[in-house]
Amino acid sequence: MYGQGLIKGLRITLKHFFEKKITQQYPEERPNLPERFKGSLTLNVPKCIACGLCSNACPNHVIKIESQKDENNKKKLTGYKVMLERCLFCGFCVEACPTKALEWTKEFELTKFYREDVNLDLFKGYVPSPDDDKPAKPENEDTAQAS
Amino acid sequence: MLKTQELTLNLGPHHPSTHGVFRCVLNLEGEYIQKAVNHLGYLHRGIEKLAESRTYTQFIPYNGRLDYVAGMLNEWTYVHAVEKLMGITEEIPERAQYIRVILGELQRLASHAIYIASMALDVAGATAWFYGFRDRDEILDLLEMVSGQRLMPNYMRIGGVAADLPEGFIEKCQALIDEFPNRIAEQEGILIGNEIFQARVKNVGPISKEMALDYGLTGPNLRASGVDTDLRRDEPYGIYDRFDFKVPVGEKGDTFDRVLVRIEEMKESVKIVKKALRDIPEGPVMAKVPKVIKPPVGEVYSRIENAKGHLGFHIVSDGSTKPYRLRIYSPCFVNIGIFPEMAKGIHLMDAVVALASLDIVLGEIDR
Amino acid sequence: MEKSFFNTIADALRNWLMNGLGFSDTAAQLTATAIWTLVVILFILMNLIVLVWLERKFSAFFQQRRGPNRLGPAGFLQFPVDIVKVLGKEDIIPANADKTVFKIASTCLFITTILAWAVIPLGDGVILADLNIGLFYFLAIGSTATVSLMMGGFSSNNKYSLIGGMRTVAQMISYEIPMIFSLLGVVMMVGSLRLSDVVAAQQNMWFIVPQAIAFLVYFVATVAETNRGPFDLAEGEQELVAGYFTEYSGIRYAIWMIAEYGNLVAVSTIASIMFLGGWNAPFGLTFIPGFVWLLLKIYFMIFLFMWVKWTYPRIRIDHLMHFGWKFLIPVSLANILVTGIGIYVYRLIIG
Repeated sequence: MYGQGLIKGLRITLKHFFEKKITQQYPEERPNLPERFKGSLTLNVPKCIACGLCSNACPNHVIKIESQKDENNKKKLTGYKVMLERCLFCGFCVEACPTKALEWTKEFELTKFYREDVNLDLFKGYVPSPDDDKPAKPENEDTAQAS
Repeated sequence: MLKTQELTLNLGPHHPSTHGVFRCVLNLEGEYIQKAVNHLGYLHRGIEKLAESRTYTQFIPYNGRLDYVAGMLNEWTYVHAVEKLMGITEEIPERAQYIRVILGELQRLASHAIYIASMALDVAGATAWFYGFRDRDEILDLLEMVSGQRLMPNYMRIGGVAADLPEGFIEKCQALIDEFPNRIAEQEGILIGNEIFQARVKNVGPISKEMALDYGLTGPNLRASGVDTDLRRDEPYGIYDRFDFKVPVGEKGDTFDRVLVRIEEMKESVKIVKKALRDIPEGPVMAKVPKVIKPPVGEVYSRIENAKGHLGFHIVSDGSTKPYRLRIYSPCFVNIGIFPEMAKGIHLMDAVVALASLDIVLGEIDR
Repeated sequence: MEKSFFNTIADALRNWLMNGLGFSDTAAQLTATAIWTLVVILFILMNLIVLVWLERKFSAFFQQRRGPNRLGPAGFLQFPVDIVKVLGKEDIIPANADKTVFKIASTCLFITTILAWAVIPLGDGVILADLNIGLFYFLAIGSTATVSLMMGGFSSNNKYSLIGGMRTVAQMISYEIPMIFSLLGVVMMVGSLRLSDVVAAQQNMWFIVPQAIAFLVYFVATVAETNRGPFDLAEGEQELVAGYFTEYSGIRYAIWMIAEYGNLVAVSTIASIMFLGGWNAPFGLTFIPGFVWLLLKIYFMIFLFMWVKWTYPRIRIDHLMHFGWKFLIPVSLANILVTGIGIYVYRLIIG
């Protein structure tokens, strides 16, 4: 019968009219993010061996690492900047990290008023503590190699 | 003296229904189009050139920026091309192959859901548009669970996939796939079966078989014109030879056929995902590939069935870690070429619908 | 009950003006009319607040969203805030626009809307001017709305606006005819064009029962008359950006919107009066005042309009014309014929 499709459409919309709504009330209701979510970056400074693999893996040369040799001729991190304004959020840096020092956080509200404020300085907030001298052990070496 | 003259109408580059920044100059006689001229390039980012300064691995995330509603499929195309260049297509682990099929078909579902949704919006059915985006969003949730991002997943790797499926993915995916036929039925109820919609799209912008082949259309648009072709079946890549699925073919090649072909394809995709979820084996997800990828000197052209058509990558390697030249054969770019021919003589309202039915994504057209 | 209530207020006002302030009879009448006009405008504006809120909420509910819910209870204050925003916007007039016509176009539409409200009763005796050709006046005023839409489309110096304006003229003129014809059936049964007579004739049976086809034709035709989806070709967002008001901004744009919603309430009221029994209470529920019943019926009609708008895609212009001329007009004419025969047979039987 002509007009059947019209009535069916009306029925479907009416059904949804009384249904529970599915939109998320964002600022009050926080999104339930998965484990692998790529938000902002965080660096566990004591674990970092300043190898530069993350910087090399980055397609856009976003990561700037500064390091100096200490008395044992071991590289020590003195600066770690992520130019987040040019970041693709591809995650190659996190994958490349041999010690799992660099990791994603679930923080996704990265908007800032000024453009330069979005860049991260992951070394700035670091305060040396006696625990840091323990040798940084690479965890899960095999999986790090595989990827 | 009174006289009539043609009206030149600049459709775009910012216009509600050009799906991005496509510009088309129309010559109107009344509201009927006499001539249409495409103007492209408003979203040109030089991705082909960017590839020459990135290593093979580093170029993977850029593929999501091409066809930004089907990022997973684009990445698959690229990594498949590089694997072919390196000659390791046979070494990809089983599980990785299955994961690729599952995510690829999910991405195809998402892309087609957007197609139906934007088609609905271009005939002013805002409610069907919301339903389409709701369905797509649930698929994106799954992709986000796997890769960490919704649009630009950067999940495929040369030699496999970045990581194994996370815990609970199979169950969630199964639940969504079981639910999905109802969602398609809902779209059929509110949009496809609607007499107003049918009146809007039937016999609009028909493309004959010959014309479609002459213009080099690919994918669902070509199938809607009655050419029975599907790379998944004709040149099976990955493990597609293990799946048994129908290839929906249209008859007249009008806008309605193009919508129907997509709807049918969604149903087939659901079946493929279902079977893949059932058969997926345990095992590694990465083949043994060197950390620094240095393909041998040579060139390769590889194409797979993207959501929009045949997406091809032509890679020339000079043996270094970066491609010497990378050329993207984009289905949307080819499909948009037929728009001036379709638009000739039809009403302005129909032209918008015909444009929507081609399923263009400007990120891929302008690259 | 309410007749006395509203009329007492009117009489008290007139008495106060004449005796208390020493107005002459004519002056008191004029002042009272002016106050009534203000009340009508206020009624339209208050309806508008509710309507815009309802449209947003309903469209959201149909689409599984929640709609505005930040400002005020359930987002009710969203529209007043929007109006404040709109008032603060720059009033842009395109460079080569026909400035005078551009400026007055939206106001013209608003004036026709208010004029149409002169004859629309909101309850027993609650009416500005109970003309004996009330319905005829409403239809005549309603058809002049086409001119202001055309003015808006033509003066903007924008191709999209021009096409939108042209479409409006074609559409509104075509759909006026079935709309009038569909109302004729009711008029024949009542034998009067006075709206209060129409309501009085529906004491026992609403005209939607004998005139169901006319009601459907009227509904479809008014959707096209008020430029609402699925017949909102004049706006045609997908191809014409916003149709005849593409170039409008700020308060001029708001006036277009106010006038359109005013029209929507007007046609819904006419539908409730002509087909749904006006302020007659159904099932003998007379303890609820007639005014409330009328409002309920008006909002039921508005819900129907919104339901249809948020379900269907837009129809194409040539299909619209075909549908109007080749289907709706013959059907409404046939309805008149059947009604005429019915009345004749009825009279034969009754004597």
